[in-house]
Amino acid sequence: MTLRTEQLGYWYQTEAEALFRSVDLTFEPGKMYAILGSSGSGKTTFLSLITGLDTPKEGKILYNDETLAKIGLREYRRKDVSIVFQAYNLLPYMSALDNVTTAMAIAQSQQTDKKAYALANLAKVGITEELAMKKVTQLSGGQQQRVAIVRALCCEHELIVADEPTGNLDETTSKDIVALFQEIAHEQNKCIILVTHEQDVAKACDVVYELKDRKFSIIESVK
Amino acid sequence: MNFFKRGLQSVWAKKGRTILLIAVFSAILIFVLAGLTIRSAALVATENAQKSVGATVTLQANREQAFQQGTTSSGSDSEASRPDPGSFQSTPVEIEDAQAIADLDGVASYSFEVSTSADAVSGIEAISSSDTDTSTDDSSADANQMGGMPGGGMQGGEMSSGDFQITGVSTSAAYTSFSEGTASLTDGEGITAEDEGTNNVVIESALAEANDLAVGDTFTITDSDDNEVEVTIKGIYETSEVGNSMSQMFSFLNPANTIFASYTFANTLSGNDGTIDSATYTLSDPSEMDAFVEEAEGMIDTDTYSIQSNDQQYQSMLTPLNNVASFAKNIIILVAAAGVIILTLIVMMSIRERRYEIGVLLSLGESRAKVIFQFFTEIFICMIFALGIAAASGNLVGNVVGEQLLAQQTETTTDQDTTNAGPGGGGGMQQMGGNGGGSFPSFTQSEEIQSLEITISAEEIGLLASMGLGISFGSIILSSAGILRLNPKKILVS
Repeated sequence: MTLRTEQLGYWYQTEAEALFRSVDLTFEPGKMYAILGSSGSGKTTFLSLITGLDTPKEGKILYNDETLAKIGLREYRRKDVSIVFQAYNLLPYMSALDNVTTAMAIAQSQQTDKKAYALANLAKVGITEELAMKKVTQLSGGQQQRVAIVRALCCEHELIVADEPTGNLDETTSKDIVALFQEIAHEQNKCIILVTHEQDVAKACDVVYELKDRKFSIIESVK
Repeated sequence: MNFFKRGLQSVWAKKGRTILLIAVFSAILIFVLAGLTIRSAALVATENAQKSVGATVTLQANREQAFQQGTTSSGSDSEASRPDPGSFQSTPVEIEDAQAIADLDGVASYSFEVSTSADAVSGIEAISSSDTDTSTDDSSADANQMGGMPGGGMQGGEMSSGDFQITGVSTSAAYTSFSEGTASLTDGEGITAEDEGTNNVVIESALAEANDLAVGDTFTITDSDDNEVEVTIKGIYETSEVGNSMSQMFSFLNPANTIFASYTFANTLSGNDGTIDSATYTLSDPSEMDAFVEEAEGMIDTDTYSIQSNDQQYQSMLTPLNNVASFAKNIIILVAAAGVIILTLIVMMSIRERRYEIGVLLSLGESRAKVIFQFFTEIFICMIFALGIAAASGNLVGNVVGEQLLAQQTETTTDQDTTNAGPGGGGGMQQMGGNGGGSFPSFTQSEEIQSLEITISAEEIGLLASMGLGISFGSIILSSAGILRLNPKKILVS
């Protein structure tokens, strides 16, 4: 899988106030990417474009050389990309387990025992079965963050995009989560894109882009 | 089917909202169901009314045509264009024609009727409340010529007002007074087809008592040619009719002086042979009335005779029922419309609170249709519970509302009927003319319209369910359309 942006640009009100313009980036499988940038620089907006939540004002996004418009934004979100939101975006009336299995069902996961698969992955991030059965509103912010990450992982999409995935986690759990992302990227040959402002998280990534002055630039590249 | 599971989870998780929706939906469906059952009961009652009243068709002289002929023959001059009072000619009905119609398919029973008058000779004296005997001697009888009077003796155009009105019938049981219950046999037997060609009569109980007569006794009367005829009492009947001021003056108008006999005997008395005043046919299937009338009219000279279908009583019975059915239909429309509005508002508020949830589902790649189906599932589950509540209580509400409506409508209709009848209306004609003049007894409310049998059928539940589905779907579409057209990012950001 390959995700490319060509001359990508976005603005809210006027062209002159564009968040970024002429962005040409390529994201490949087996790598973990970080997008750094200050608050309000447009990182999350860029994320919403490459996840098909919004449409660019100019340029195009190609997934496996097909534009997202051609694939269909909904189909793209359902089949190809998983998103970890900064605000978790879990369904409040469901348990942690149901949140994960619901996303798997929407993604039409091929796992035969979705419940067992979800519980196994939740356990990897420290969510026990007892916690998994609780409504997500009864979990702490860190626990909800981990449920949101597992929800993205369990859909087994080729591309996982996360917005500040470790923002609400303690240092230990944060390291575990980053290690988990690395494992998924390198061992399962997935493409992970993390939007973060944490240097430690960025350092763990294979490629780091910085969004500054409406332009993306590579800060660090790991061979 | 993931949306169905999500719907179930949502319903279970948000019990307060679910209970509110069930309560509102129940209220809407109960009133819709009440409307449906009342309307259905009114329609069933209409059918029953038609069956109970039946349909009768009367063959008689074409009175309207008889008057028109008189007018046409009078010329164009304004004075002459008025109908000549003496020109009215009413042709009696030939028994052959009447019998031919009686032989048509669909005739359940028929009755031939002849009216005439007779004077007492011996063994009997007419009931009279006046000292002035207007009919005991021939001269006074001659002085009271009753040309065109709808009562006695239509056949000759003119008649003598005798002591008694002789009502010749095929069977007395089929005669209006007996079938409507104003007259009933107290002793002996009524007139039947077996009495054709006999001198058997049925007299009123007051007349029998006054003359000390019993079943099997005989008395003598005179016919139109003053020939004495001895008759035998076959039965005694009692009537609830009371005379009016006219019956004080003319003995034959006193209900107690009405004597029933076979129509053949009445013809013998009046001197006519082979004719009758009118024939009444009762049809086995009221819905075939129009076809029967058309077929019968093909067999007679419509210039001379007319065939009149009698559904006046049926139509009168229909008025309150039609009003109730119409009101019930309006209830259904109003409640359904109000239901859509109320539910749409509730669902709209609920869905506005769930923008975030919609955004999450869309961001996960869920289709808009499945999000709508999820909400629909939730409403559908509430509707199922509400349907159960409505089915359990709709019958009760329907009965209360239906009876109330019918009581009001019946009261209104009865008041209107009373007002329309007015003083000296149909009742007087009935007494004067019996059934011969084609008049009908004043309408009395029957059991079928005094109560509605309101029961809920599976068909109504099915109809209610489909209306509920329509209301649910309409409210979901209306309330979610605004949100679902947004892209997930806008929904989540907002």
